[in-house]
Amino acid sequence: MLKTLIAGASALALTLAVAGSASAADKPLYGALMKTLSNPFWGAMEKGVDAGAQKADVELFMEAVESDQATEPQLNACNTMLEKKPAVMITAAISSTNLLPCLKHANELKIPVVDLDGNLDPEITKKAGVDVAFHIGSDNQAAGAKAADYLISALGKDAKGSVLVIEGLSGNITGAKRANGFAEELKKAAPGFAIVASLPGDWDSLKAANITNDTLQRYPDLAAIFCANDDMALGAVEAARAAGKDKLIVIGVDGNVNAVKSINAGRLNASVAQLPYLVGMQAVENAKKVLAGEKVAEFTYVPTLVLTKATLDSKTDPLLQYVK
Amino acid sequence: MSAALSPPASPRSWRQRVFGAATFRFESLLVLATLTIVMTVLSPVFLSVSNFFNIVLSTSVFGVLAIGMTFVICSAGIDLSVGSIVGFSGVVGAMTAANLNLPWPVCIVATLAAGAFAGWVNGFIITKGMIQPFIVTLGMLGVARGTALVLSDGVSIYGLPPEVVYLGQGRPFGVPAPVIILLLTALVAHVLLVHTRFGVYAQVIGDNENAARAMGVRVERHKTLLYTLSGLLAGLAGLLFAARINSGEPTAGLSYELTAITATIIGGTNMNGGRGSIVGTIIGALIMGVLQNGLNLLAVRPFYQQIAIGAVLVGAVWFDRVNSKEGWRR
Repeated sequence: MLKTLIAGASALALTLAVAGSASAADKPLYGALMKTLSNPFWGAMEKGVDAGAQKADVELFMEAVESDQATEPQLNACNTMLEKKPAVMITAAISSTNLLPCLKHANELKIPVVDLDGNLDPEITKKAGVDVAFHIGSDNQAAGAKAADYLISALGKDAKGSVLVIEGLSGNITGAKRANGFAEELKKAAPGFAIVASLPGDWDSLKAANITNDTLQRYPDLAAIFCANDDMALGAVEAARAAGKDKLIVIGVDGNVNAVKSINAGRLNASVAQLPYLVGMQAVENAKKVLAGEKVAEFTYVPTLVLTKATLDSKTDPLLQYVK
Repeated sequence: MSAALSPPASPRSWRQRVFGAATFRFESLLVLATLTIVMTVLSPVFLSVSNFFNIVLSTSVFGVLAIGMTFVICSAGIDLSVGSIVGFSGVVGAMTAANLNLPWPVCIVATLAAGAFAGWVNGFIITKGMIQPFIVTLGMLGVARGTALVLSDGVSIYGLPPEVVYLGQGRPFGVPAPVIILLLTALVAHVLLVHTRFGVYAQVIGDNENAARAMGVRVERHKTLLYTLSGLLAGLAGLLFAARINSGEPTAGLSYELTAITATIIGGTNMNGGRGSIVGTIIGALIMGVLQNGLNLLAVRPFYQQIAIGAVLVGAVWFDRVNSKEGWRR
């Protein structure tokens, strides 16, 4: 039995050696703790951080956890990352509280903390005594408002009609901001539209499809659906088209790969692209500035871009290069 | 009830005396040692006191769950609700402090009581309704998680009393408090399982429920107690979770029941009941902690971590089958 064990162990060692062959150059080590990689948005963010690290000529140590609900595993990964004593900790916290003990420890070790994608609530970090070097991300409220503007430009300022809003995971700040931004802008700029329902789709495309079907039962003349992310928008658009509602306008947020495909195929009408690639890249650039002692704005909002078939076809917008 | 079920009076080795008749799976200790050596070779940061505490700290929440799971599984039951109870009890505790402004002892008691209550409900329905534990606790998985979300409105409740936070973040004598709590819990649970009637009966029920009944064990009452204990420990895990991040999170402990079951099985507790070991469970939990920590240090993507843990789980049980004299008989 011992023999089998040793054989198994050496096999494991070999695998790990291959997987973990990191270059030990003299470059400064930047730690980046992501949420999850099993989602196109975070995949693009990861690529942006990677590109930023290459541009800044630093060594990158990137980690993520298995899902964007794994709050405690992320805290554990954060603590583990601190063992490597990185020069800076770029963190995309799953919730506004789950990483706080680790970030406080980073403060004690004089490692600057960066809030990637604006998941930390400044009020709570202040209360917890955690010092954040800077926050960088997308303005979710503005993204929602841009979606409303798109709807108004498509149907006209004085158009009337019922609108369905599919929110994110209930209680999630990102989804709430997007839905609020949309609702407020719509109310202000085109009061003819009425939001007939605003329901949480939990970021789940199938759930969004079901909500769409149910709502269409009650409001067959629905004019538009706004979804707080692209996954849900894709579910909604498939359900709407399957129900024969070809005129129904469906708008998502994120600008992810699948949404781009759907827009190109003439199904999804628009997606407000958040440019996570740009967010990740700028986060690393700003972190380098902080380490060099330069001043960086406390909050940086990376611009958003409304993707439609027209913008994708014209290929003129310079921001399009960051749509990954 | 009679004293006929006290442990056998035949002479026992020191190992049996300390660890009980059902000792832990020795191979799991070898796996743990091998992993430790491999990780030490691969990452220079791995073998340090601070990283050691770091590993045990990561293990503490699901380790406590796995201890409760050991009792339930060795009585031939299962408790799928513990992960949800972590979220539920944490939210209840955080609400007493943050929303109701009650003092810290209330927060601790409420958290533990919430867990124990959910566990008692499990046990009550399993025995009174004569429904399989799998179904009842699967139901509780939904009910407890849903209740946590309803109570908190889906938002995490931030701000626990400092005394409670100390349980998760404090470092008496330089040792993280959850590590101490995990080890103390394990010690008490080990004595309970091996050296008291409570634990021995649990194993007897798991081995043969009818025989246990014939011997005078009050099986229903005992099972209810076992599930209440599992719930209580899930409440303790919920307390640790909330204290570690200073907030009650409704989604806390999502799918931790599977992690706890995995640690228990790797540790050698028999899925069919009749045999369980707390020492083994702690080793099983540490194997998972070392794997996660080591792979994190090596920046291996989390997807591979899940493959590694799945492989270790099945590998451990396979080893047991091959090396066990009992073979396929349980």
